[in-house]
Amino acid sequence: MGKTKTAAATYTPQQPYTPVDSDFVLKHNEGEIAIDTNFASQSFWKDVTTRFFHKKSAVAGLFIVLFLILMAIIGPHVSGYDYSSQNLANKNLAPRIQGIENLGILDGSETMSTTTGTKKTNAYAEKKLYDTFYWFGSDRYGRDIWTRTWTGTRVSLIIAVAATFIDMVIGLSYGLVSGYFGGKTDIIMQRILEVMNGIPRLVIVTLLLLILKPGMLTIIFALMLTEWVGMSRIARAEMLKLKEQEFVLASKTLGAHSFHIIFAEILPNIIGPVITQVMFSIPTAIFTEAFLSFVGLGIPVPQCSLGSLISDGYNSFTTHPYQIVAPIVVMALLMLSFNLIADGLREALDPKMKEM
Amino acid sequence: MPERTKKNSVGKASKIVRKYIIKRVLTSIFTLLVILLVLFILMQLMPGSPFNDEKLNDSQRATLYAKYGLDQPVIVQFGRYVKNMLTGDFGVSYNISKNTPISQLLKTRLPISIKIGGAAVAMGALVGLILGLLAALKHDTWVDTICTIISVIGVSVPSYVFALLLSYQFGFRLKIFPMLFDAKRMLASSFLPSVSLSMFTMASIARFTRSEMLEVLDSDYMLLAESKGISGSSLIFRHALRNALIPIITVLAPLIVDLMTGSLVVEKIFAIPGVGSLLVNAIQSNDYNVVISLAFIYSAMYIGIMLVVDILYGVIDPRIRLAKEG
Repeated sequence: MGKTKTAAATYTPQQPYTPVDSDFVLKHNEGEIAIDTNFASQSFWKDVTTRFFHKKSAVAGLFIVLFLILMAIIGPHVSGYDYSSQNLANKNLAPRIQGIENLGILDGSETMSTTTGTKKTNAYAEKKLYDTFYWFGSDRYGRDIWTRTWTGTRVSLIIAVAATFIDMVIGLSYGLVSGYFGGKTDIIMQRILEVMNGIPRLVIVTLLLLILKPGMLTIIFALMLTEWVGMSRIARAEMLKLKEQEFVLASKTLGAHSFHIIFAEILPNIIGPVITQVMFSIPTAIFTEAFLSFVGLGIPVPQCSLGSLISDGYNSFTTHPYQIVAPIVVMALLMLSFNLIADGLREALDPKMKEM
Repeated sequence: MPERTKKNSVGKASKIVRKYIIKRVLTSIFTLLVILLVLFILMQLMPGSPFNDEKLNDSQRATLYAKYGLDQPVIVQFGRYVKNMLTGDFGVSYNISKNTPISQLLKTRLPISIKIGGAAVAMGALVGLILGLLAALKHDTWVDTICTIISVIGVSVPSYVFALLLSYQFGFRLKIFPMLFDAKRMLASSFLPSVSLSMFTMASIARFTRSEMLEVLDSDYMLLAESKGISGSSLIFRHALRNALIPIITVLAPLIVDLMTGSLVVEKIFAIPGVGSLLVNAIQSNDYNVVISLAFIYSAMYIGIMLVVDILYGVIDPRIRLAKEG
């Protein structure tokens, strides 16, 4: 307070300034002024792609997924073995790959631990199988683990597609409808959701498998009952944010049908969080399948999935550890890369949103 | 006057809290009833009644039905079923250990599972908190990168894969810890299962703590605290961490549930005589009665945990409650 008072006291009004002509001459600084071309307006998707590809982990995840998809398509056909044909003469053979075997690794030898100590054996040499190669080894029925691993990857990828589909169709529609109509519809739909969410997924899946036959369809059905809740919550929250906005009102005024407003007007505006949620639900679905197969409720034999391969390998993993390595690595890579992509997409689609 | 308005708003707030709690309790009870109904219907659908013995004639069967109340209306049967389940009378096991009451099976198994699960949650929460805190404080340095890598791996790799790797490396090859569960060496043999179960919890908590801490550290009140001259550990623990901790409570509930799922396989791998391995055995040997009782126990535990967490959270942070209301 004191300072302003003294300032006011020392201030003396000067003569009013009269502008002269020289004040209105152009400065001729065209060299300093430039039209900003660096920040030309970019489309939303271009922005997203740039941000996504700037994140190394996300790109790595994308490449791994593409690689695994490729391997799932061609993998089962290149080794020359069938995923289900058994050859008991060639059981429990360690991995052996042409070319690399000369380097002293992956040459079909394995270290056996016995009571007297460890010893190195080569079953290929013992059985005189000089022209036989099992790239990932063979299991206790003499089936090729390479072929089985990639066939199992197919199952996991199919589950991933199914989970995406379930999320998009059931979860999204449920959340959007519940949020858009509000009122009594919303209350009833949310109570149903709360009850569904109150039952542990494990219990739903277990009970379902008690009455239905284990198999791909049952697993997808089980996912259908459990997977949509997360997505519908997000869709509803986004809908509540958007439905009072002007463009919705405009569309309503023009006489648009509710169906059109929900799916053609609002849906494109919430696609970001929706895609992110889908990507996050894929690893969960893959995990659920693997878990069910491990417990013995998954894909029936002789078909296989990564989960059932891990379960098979587990039975002999102290004597033949290589049998479990390939499915575990592929499974971990699959889950990891989908998580990385999801992380990258979330940051790319909504840089302001906090990480969690 | 200001005092009065304050009192009013406090009264109003506690009223909302009470309403919220009552609502949550009612929803939970309703959910539990729905689950019981589903389980009851499943029991009716299951093939094989306990009285399928060929030797029984119709009148004997009728006597048995009367004895067990199976001749009464469905609604009465359901009422009795609810009463039995809630009082812990789950019936007997058919296949696993014939005619043993399930409650007796559970008496020895439940404590083991709870101990290992509890250890996993505690370990996961503590380590996760430390990792998340380190990552946030050393944001954008190599410490942060390492913590992030650990947490991404922990979230992505299923707990049973960890269990297999750990039991192979530390149990089979190095022989530091027992590979299989041994009741005499409780502490040593619960270590590996608890660690493998805690990985997911640890990773999720680390990620969550990191993002929450980053947000808190960036906030205006932290700037104020700093400019008031508060520094060092007091600043981080009393001002930042306390605020970051509130939302972390919410992620704990779903994590505990994931732990239940994980425990099924992990208990099988380490041959732990717990509830999870009982459920796996029951599923594999079609012991419906055990599966259904365990389904009920899992659901009840889940609903209980969710209820406690929701109420705790609602009481601690009124903003959440209001957001949920609206």
